[in-house]
Amino acid sequence: MTAPFIRMMKLSNSSRQVGLKLKRFIFWMLLPTFVIVLILTYYPTVEGSILAFKDYSVFNFQNIHFVGLDNFKTIFEGPEFAIATWNTIWWIAFSVTLQLILGFALALLMRKPFKGRGLYAGIVFYPWALSGFAIGILWSWLLNGQFGLINDILIKMHILDHGINFLANPKYAFISVITVNVWYGIPFFAIMILAALQSIPTSLYESAEIDGAGSIMKFFHITVPYIKPTLVSTVLLRIIWVMNFPDIIYGMTRGGPAGTTNILATYMINIVYFESDYSKASAVGLVIISALTLYTLFYLKLTSSYEMGEL
Amino acid sequence: MRKKHILAKSFRFFFLSLYLLAAVVPLFWIFITSVKPSTEVYTYPLIYWPKHFTLENYKFLFLFANFSQYFKNSLFVSIISSLVAMSFATLSGYIMARYKFKFKKTLIVFLFFAQMIPAYLIMIPQYKMFSDFGLINNLWGLIIVYVNIAVSFSTIMARGFFSRIPRSLEEAALMDGCSRVGAIFRITIPLSLPGLAAIFSFSFVNTWNELFTAALFLSSNSKLTVPVALYSFISKAGIQWNVMSAGLIVALLPTILVFAVAQRYIVAGLTQGAVKE
Repeated sequence: MTAPFIRMMKLSNSSRQVGLKLKRFIFWMLLPTFVIVLILTYYPTVEGSILAFKDYSVFNFQNIHFVGLDNFKTIFEGPEFAIATWNTIWWIAFSVTLQLILGFALALLMRKPFKGRGLYAGIVFYPWALSGFAIGILWSWLLNGQFGLINDILIKMHILDHGINFLANPKYAFISVITVNVWYGIPFFAIMILAALQSIPTSLYESAEIDGAGSIMKFFHITVPYIKPTLVSTVLLRIIWVMNFPDIIYGMTRGGPAGTTNILATYMINIVYFESDYSKASAVGLVIISALTLYTLFYLKLTSSYEMGEL
Repeated sequence: MRKKHILAKSFRFFFLSLYLLAAVVPLFWIFITSVKPSTEVYTYPLIYWPKHFTLENYKFLFLFANFSQYFKNSLFVSIISSLVAMSFATLSGYIMARYKFKFKKTLIVFLFFAQMIPAYLIMIPQYKMFSDFGLINNLWGLIIVYVNIAVSFSTIMARGFFSRIPRSLEEAALMDGCSRVGAIFRITIPLSLPGLAAIFSFSFVNTWNELFTAALFLSSNSKLTVPVALYSFISKAGIQWNVMSAGLIVALLPTILVFAVAQRYIVAGLTQGAVKE
C-alpha cells in the first residue's frame, strides 16, 4: 500500500502533495500504539482521579455520584495510610541504597574477565527476570519459622538458638521484605553498572598509572566520575520502580501483620481486593499518582539539566 | 607484589562465590522442596537432600489442581499480547527513529510517562471500562490490557534499536534498486532481529508475571493465569509447601528459559540506552 507513494517521494521530495502523503504515512504507522496508550493508560489515569471523588464500590455499581472529599477523609482518618506512607519512604530509601551498593560491588567484582564469566553472569543475574510475586512466596517459605532454611542456617551458625517466625513478627517482617527486595534488585544495578564500567576507555587508567595513581585514586577520579550519568539515571528511575513494586510484599505478607509491611501500593491493592471499595482505593491511587508525577517532572528536569552540564 | 596479587584474587573469588550462593540457594531450595514427599518437608531437623525423590507434587498440580489449564492460559495471553505489542512498537518505533515531524518530542514524553504508570494504579477504571464491554473474565480482555502494558516500553526500545541501524545501509539498498519498503524488510528488519527478540522477551516476561490486573479481572477457575492461581493458593489456609514449590517452579521456568536465551539481547537493549544517556 505504501510502496508506490514512497517511491514517488524519492523522485520529488519537495512536492507538497508528497509531504502530505508522508504525513499520513507517519500518522497511520503511529496510530495503533498511541491510540491504545491513550485509551488504556491516560484515560484510566484521569478517570481514576475522578473516581477518587465518587462512591464507586462493589456495592454501588449503578448510581455513582460525587461525594467530595469523603474518600480522602476516610483514608486520612485511619492509621493505615500514615503507616503505609512512612513505610513507602523507608522501603524506597533502604532498598535502592542497598541495591546500589551491593550491585556496584558485584559489577566491580565481575569487571575483569575470568573463566566462565558469561555463565556466572547468567546465573547471578537470573532473579532480575523472575516474577516478584513468585519470589515473594518463595522467600516466605525460606523464612518459615519452623521449617525454613534461613532459620536452620542461622541456628547452625549459632546466631540464633531457636527459629524466628520472621513474617508473623512485626519487628522482623518489614526488615525481611526489604532484604528480599534488595536481593531481587542487585542484578539490575549490576547489569547497568557493569555495562557502564566496560565503556570506560582503558587509556584513561593507563595515563593515570603513569602519573602514579593508586587503585583508590583511580576509582574516585576516573571510575566514579565516568559512570556518574549511569548511576544517577539508574537510581532515579529505580526509585519510581521500587515505589510501585508491591509484588514481593504481596507474595510475602500482603501488607501484614496488621498493616506493618504495607506500602502505599499494597495498601491500595488490599482495599480493592478485600474491601472492594474502588473509590477509596482510587483516592490512595491519586495520592500515588500525584507523587509519581511530581517526581517524574523533577527527574526530567534533573536529567535535562544534567545533559546540559549543570550538574 | 605477587603475594598481594594472590590475596586480591582470593578476596575476589570469595565474594563472587558469596553472590553466587545467594542467587542459587533460594531457587535450589524450592526445587528440592518440590521433589520431596510432604513427610520430608514438615520435619525437623531439615532434610537437605530428598530421601525419596518424587514427582507427585507436579502430578498433583497438573492432574488435580488444573495447572495445565492455567499454564495454557498464561502462555496464550503472554504470547499474543507480546506479539501484538511488538508489531505496534515496530511500526511506531521505526517512524520515531527515522523521521522528523511535529510533536515528536511530545509523543516521546507521552510514552515515557505512560511507561511510568504501573498497572495496579489504573486497573480500577480499566475494570469499569471493560465490564461495560463485557470483557471482564475474558482472556481477550486481559490481552488488550497487556498490550497496553507492553507497548510503550517496546516502542521506546524499538526506537533505540532502529536508530542504531545506519540509515546509509537502507540508502545503499535503494541505490541498488530496492524499494523503500523492500529496504526495510531486507535490511532494517533482519538487522534489528536481536532487538525485536529482546522486545518480545521483555514483554513476555512482564505479562507472564502480571498478577494484580489479572486477579481483579479473572474469576472463573478455567480462565485463571498462573500468578492468579498461585495467589489463590496462598489465600487459602494451610499451604502445602511441597505442592506450592512445584507451582513456583512451573511459574518461574518459562521466564528462566526466555531469559537464558535472550538475556544478551535484553541486557544490550537496556544498557545501550543507559550508557548513551
